[in-house]
Amino acid sequence: MNDTETSDLFGQYHLQAYDEMFQGDGSPRPHYSALHERLQTLGLSELERRHKLADLIRRHQGITFTVYGREKGVEQIIPFDPIPRIISGPEWDRIERGLKQRVRALNLFIHDVYHERLILKDRVVPSDLVFGASGYRRECVGLQAPKDIYIHVSGIDLIRDADGSFLVLEDNCRTPSGVSYVLKNLRNIAPLGCDDPTIVVLTPGIYNSAYYEHSFLARQMGVELVEGRDLVLDRGQIFRRTTQGLKRVDVIYRRVDDDFLDPLSFRPDSMLGVAGLVGAYRAGNVGLANGLGTGVADDKGIYPFVPDFIKYYLKEEPILANVETFRPLIPAHKQHILANLESLVVKAVDASGGYGMLIGPASTAKQREEFARKIETNPRGYVAQPTISLSRHPTFVEDHIDGRHIDLRPFVLYGEEIVVMPGGLTRVALPKGSLVVNSSQGGGTKDTWVLHDHASPEAHSAVDPIAMGRS
Amino acid sequence: MLSRVAENLYWLSRYLERAENVARLLDIGMFLELDAADISVNDGSAPVEIALSILSCGEAYRSSKRPARSNGRGISAEQSERDNLLRFLTFDRANPQSILSMVAHARENAKGTQETLGVDIWSEINRLYLYLSGRRAQERFVSSPYRFYTKITRSCVLVEGMIVQSLPRDEVYHFLQVGLHLERAEVIGRILFAKCMSLNNPQQSWEASIQLVRWASLLRSCSAYAAYLRTESDRIDPEGVVRFLVLNPDFPRSIRYCVARCRDSLQEISGGDDDDYGDACQAERLLGRLDSDLRYIGVEEIFERGLLSFLGEIEQTCSRVGREVQQSYFCT
Repeated sequence: MNDTETSDLFGQYHLQAYDEMFQGDGSPRPHYSALHERLQTLGLSELERRHKLADLIRRHQGITFTVYGREKGVEQIIPFDPIPRIISGPEWDRIERGLKQRVRALNLFIHDVYHERLILKDRVVPSDLVFGASGYRRECVGLQAPKDIYIHVSGIDLIRDADGSFLVLEDNCRTPSGVSYVLKNLRNIAPLGCDDPTIVVLTPGIYNSAYYEHSFLARQMGVELVEGRDLVLDRGQIFRRTTQGLKRVDVIYRRVDDDFLDPLSFRPDSMLGVAGLVGAYRAGNVGLANGLGTGVADDKGIYPFVPDFIKYYLKEEPILANVETFRPLIPAHKQHILANLESLVVKAVDASGGYGMLIGPASTAKQREEFARKIETNPRGYVAQPTISLSRHPTFVEDHIDGRHIDLRPFVLYGEEIVVMPGGLTRVALPKGSLVVNSSQGGGTKDTWVLHDHASPEAHSAVDPIAMGRS
Repeated sequence: MLSRVAENLYWLSRYLERAENVARLLDIGMFLELDAADISVNDGSAPVEIALSILSCGEAYRSSKRPARSNGRGISAEQSERDNLLRFLTFDRANPQSILSMVAHARENAKGTQETLGVDIWSEINRLYLYLSGRRAQERFVSSPYRFYTKITRSCVLVEGMIVQSLPRDEVYHFLQVGLHLERAEVIGRILFAKCMSLNNPQQSWEASIQLVRWASLLRSCSAYAAYLRTESDRIDPEGVVRFLVLNPDFPRSIRYCVARCRDSLQEISGGDDDDYGDACQAERLLGRLDSDLRYIGVEEIFERGLLSFLGEIEQTCSRVGREVQQSYFCT
């Protein structure tokens, strides 16, 4: 390796915001040094070749999502960046502790909201916010979830601010996409007395944008992938239609949202669900993961209170902080928001996927007027946050390497105990300067590697790709 | 196994088998045109045109027909007509019997069952679909039809091979085999029917040499030429061809072989045996009966009874079997 090559690969690379690979002086951070060296050895053209190969494999294997809205659903591969993102051991340790704490508190909150409602009686969070959340399900009041676990799988979105500290941007407790792991702990929620439970993965079907992942998940777990029409309720129990007649189902890992799960309880026009499923769940005849009504914890109007949940339920200080959030329901906040729309990010409380957002610095006067009107008429419907320049990571763009903004979505499994899967989904905003990482808005993914042993960063054996999550 | 998955697998197999047969038929048909250019007649029995009657989509073709483009680039109306026909049978998404439509269906079914098929089989089917719907296939179709159609048949054979080599002999495998063999028996019957009809046409008195070319082409359409020569020595005559393609117990593309394998797989699925056909096994009973008919009938008797009506009965039995399988296993 010589200096010319070095300057070729990262020659036009500009440092901005917090860079994941490089320190302020341009030298690679210690936990990136092995990767940095390897990239230099590979060179640009080899990297490009591998990038194309990876795309081709993904296309052939059908690792695609469907773009809706046109005549024929167009299948696109989710762009995948070949340069992995690395998280050092100590950093991961903190993330892990922070996420366990947060998910434990969120789970307690969901249980509380559908039962005693102590947190509302103690006025830690306003009741109207909770009951007004679009994910709140009246049908779940008093519903007994096995072992009081609701959020079996969650994905918590983390970002890094300019100082490099991780902040929680969003909680996904409904049916987060991107988690494709073996879920042994699903056995825990089988109906009582069921020693060898039959577990299935419930998918909306092959036209769903995350279908590949559902299929992958079922394959990895060695269980059947079912659609709503494969299941039927008979005398309070759920069965699947097989070539040998009806066979019982004990646990359903569902990737269908609450609203579509059971036309008898929720949306009557749903073709994706199973009529009577909620009744069977209520009677304890079938386990559901995630539980019902967990969307109440995803609401962005509830989000600002999660640090308070941690203090209230666990009597602990939050390890991972929230992004500062302004709520238009508070008059002083509303004033601040309306006066500073140009520098804030405004989000609809019940939207996801990067939709329904205003990014102040990138907005037009007309868009700002529109959002100002929306905030005036529906203050409950929106929150605002300062625009945070997410950390950047070297990313292969067209024919060179450039910095792009990234986030991190680690996945948390809640069974006998809470386990944070090492790694997770790193999403990268591919358009230059963009801060939106969602795949529907031009986002891609990166492999995420967590280092075991930070003590010897030079040793290649220390670079251990543990888990890769893809959405 | 889920009924929906079983149904998907069964149809996936049928679609692929049919696509493979159409590709081979068109490929061999174009060769026959080269060998016997002067036999192209307008009674629907021209080498390529006959595919329309085999797939029973002649009506659909005539109603979909665009005017034959005869332009100034030296392409005759006849050539343009043939090009239209080939495209209709190969690429036309509006024609459910086109190769592309069938591969698209197969792929849709494979997508919904990839956790049972495994990544390799699924991606092979996906690759074939992506190829056929892309630009490269169009270019290859123009520059070398032979290589184009051979690629399709090879992909299909590769998938069949992967199924045989990589899947455990459980329900997944057997439903795939039921679909494959039922479809194959039906298609061979239809090919024989269409080709024998034109060969039997008394108004055309073919010279013996042309007859020979056409019977050889029929064998090639069923991938049976070389095997036939070895089995029946080198005499190609109607009795020999029918004996081989209908009654041979060992050749994988004979009707009798397909009927027996289809029945074997259904038996594996139901767990039943020869002596006990329950209500769920009507399909097995029908196949068992057809199997013993084919076992004990001689080729002379087939011709006495009339070849075409004999083939017609086989086809009817095959479609009844299809309906029974549907009823017993997919409508839980």
